[in-house]
Amino acid sequence: MIDITQIFNLSTLGPWMLSMLFGLLIGATPGLTATMAVALIVPITYYMPPLTGLSMVLGVSASAIFAGDIPATCLRIPGTPASAAAVLDSYEMTKKGDSGLPLSLDVYCSSIGGMIGVLCLIFIAPALAKFALRFTHFQYFWLGIFGLSMSAILCQGNALLGVISATLGVLLSTIGTDLTSGYYRFIFGVMDLADGISFIPVMIGMFGVSEVLKVVARPELLSMTALPGSTKLPPARKVFAVIWRHRLTVLRSAIIGTVIGALPGAGGDVAAWVSYGAAKKTSKTPEKFGTGCEEGVIAPTSANNAAIGGAWIPALVFGIPGDSITAVVLGAMIMYGLQPGPMIFQGKSEMVKGIFTIAFISQIMLIPVGFIGIRLFRQILRMPKNVVFVLVLLFSLVGSYAMRNNYWDVGIMLAAGILGFYMDHLSMPQAPLILGLILGNMVENNFRIGMLKSGGDYTWFISDPICATLIFLIFLTYFSGPLLRLCGGLLKRMRKR
Amino acid sequence: MKKLLLAAVVWALLAGTALAAYPEKTIVIVCPWGAGGGTDRVIRAMAAELEKLLGQPVVVENRTGGDGAVGHGYGAKARPDGYTLTCTTFELATMHWMGIPSAPTFEDYEHVAQINDDPAAIGVKTDAEWKDLAGFFAWIKANPGRAQFSGTAKAGIWDLARLTLMDAAGLKPEDALWIPSSGAAAAIPEVLGGHISAIACGIAEQKAQLDNGELRALVLMSAERSPAFPGVPTARELGYDVVYATVRGLSAPKGTPKEIVDLLADAVKKSCESPTFVDFMQKNSFAISYRGPAEYTELLSRIDADNKTAMELGGYLKAGQ
Repeated sequence: MIDITQIFNLSTLGPWMLSMLFGLLIGATPGLTATMAVALIVPITYYMPPLTGLSMVLGVSASAIFAGDIPATCLRIPGTPASAAAVLDSYEMTKKGDSGLPLSLDVYCSSIGGMIGVLCLIFIAPALAKFALRFTHFQYFWLGIFGLSMSAILCQGNALLGVISATLGVLLSTIGTDLTSGYYRFIFGVMDLADGISFIPVMIGMFGVSEVLKVVARPELLSMTALPGSTKLPPARKVFAVIWRHRLTVLRSAIIGTVIGALPGAGGDVAAWVSYGAAKKTSKTPEKFGTGCEEGVIAPTSANNAAIGGAWIPALVFGIPGDSITAVVLGAMIMYGLQPGPMIFQGKSEMVKGIFTIAFISQIMLIPVGFIGIRLFRQILRMPKNVVFVLVLLFSLVGSYAMRNNYWDVGIMLAAGILGFYMDHLSMPQAPLILGLILGNMVENNFRIGMLKSGGDYTWFISDPICATLIFLIFLTYFSGPLLRLCGGLLKRMRKR
Repeated sequence: MKKLLLAAVVWALLAGTALAAYPEKTIVIVCPWGAGGGTDRVIRAMAAELEKLLGQPVVVENRTGGDGAVGHGYGAKARPDGYTLTCTTFELATMHWMGIPSAPTFEDYEHVAQINDDPAAIGVKTDAEWKDLAGFFAWIKANPGRAQFSGTAKAGIWDLARLTLMDAAGLKPEDALWIPSSGAAAAIPEVLGGHISAIACGIAEQKAQLDNGELRALVLMSAERSPAFPGVPTARELGYDVVYATVRGLSAPKGTPKEIVDLLADAVKKSCESPTFVDFMQKNSFAISYRGPAEYTELLSRIDADNKTAMELGGYLKAGQ
């Protein structure tokens, strides 16, 4: 029989803490994903008692996703795909001389977002899982379009360049195997491209390497310390004041993260973008987004950790992993004799209680572990810029190669870096390109497979309440501004009369 | 003179070790599929066992891409010294039929041993109107073109499996639609949500849903019933002589010395009997099915021929082959 108090033994807490630090290290290294961290730790846990093993696996998944935000903030290289949205404001804030605030916000908001995700998992999982099952190609198509619409939000004032950038991303996403027909497209006989242009090297190059090129183009910057300002972390009181001021953003992002995470066809990366867009759309000061504002830091970081809890929902209710990390962890759980299914939530065996407790405590332990990681990583920022940028380049090279041991990815990463540099020159935003690359396949495949299913009938894409809601949200994304103005104008006129 | 003597001694030592028993350095196993997937998990567990037996580190390296062509091709072209091995999978016998340029065939390796197989099963929702395979096939016959299957990409192994079974039952390929998906994990929610009629994939991939009663397996395409799922009838019992299973094994590049292949095959055989490995495989419902070098090669050659027939059925065979 499993004894739940075993969780609090030193023999569990020790490996738990160590594996979370390990997750931190892997997650903070660009190119090494959270999935990889979990896949590496699982074989070790086979030799552990069940709850110890599970605490290690769940701890790694929580800390690795959080850790992706650290290099995104310090070096403008997202550590994991889920952190791509975090580069926008966190890095800008660091550039302004305050790296302590975004990093502290990352730690606390990741932890809070994660806890909300776990609470949803414990209390409303069966209902949410049923909802998630209603999603099929038609709904995922609109979700993809909704995500792509975020690129319009991301680059207000520069709409045309933003659209060009997003289109470029969508075009790049057409390279590789066409899932619907099985044919290769635009690979020119290079089998290494058959899986398409992977967005991790593009992301690393476009954000990280382009930043290096920018500095190389202006060598006078090189002599400075990497980042100005103090490297002290702000007091917790100040950080909590900021979080309290934006408590609605935290809550909204965490809920968006949980729901999108619960969908088997979408994960933390999409969740982070959508919550960033939603935060900007509802903000009182949307013009500050992208220049290093607090909400822009909070939204994606709360969402991506909440998405972990969300991904657990279909995994535990149906045995369907919501993302690749959950797939690996689910395999480990089944090893320990856990049987996923609706019964899990009714019986509440000791094992399930243990998992819930572990998942929740992992989010709390994220705070001390996160600060250890930050302290280590921030040492980099004290170094002179010429050293830091060599490190960025090194990280980028190693990271893009390590992902699947392929030199093509290194080439793609460098090409993306050069492209990103010139896009910066034209003041063309890079984020929409990444979004287009991530979501291009989602939109295309779901549309074409949906058409295959419906036998060429378009109405299947609109005759469903979820589709209708998503279409409505997309409509709001584009037209809420003019619409509000129109309503405001009408109201004024009515009052005058 | 002293230096020369020293050099001679060093040389003799080095030469001595070179002749000494294989292995004397790290062995790399190339896995053509991603970290965390079924193949990756099986081969990592096997690598841990081999490491214990061989006394040298055994490292798994994921080289993914091109539907398995990248990793398989890399492993086939490696130096045949026994230090770069490949975890070969079923796709070795489909890739080249699909006209993938540079895809190796089973003839490009010295096969070491088969480790595992996972037979195809067709599953439907428990509350579906079809209680058995006969009922399902009769419904397809009465409603041609309405049934929708999913489980992997178009022309993937499970698509070929259901094509072969439908053909054996006298159904035409176009009587049912194949909805492409990135894998079983993406297709299962489609069945559970009632969006498609049936899933065709390895029975181990449906284990969780079969165990908690959300899916019902109508047929298992293996020679014998699975001990893990004794209630699922085999295709042969139902009157169709169809056996379709994915396989995973270990292979060395063509030209690897026979002594090394035999030594490795022996190590794999011992690992397949090791309690830790057996426990791992059982808990994950991966079936252990060891086959030696000659038998594994023969199996791959048979699968290769079967796949050609199945791909012709689906109209997937590229012209000129």
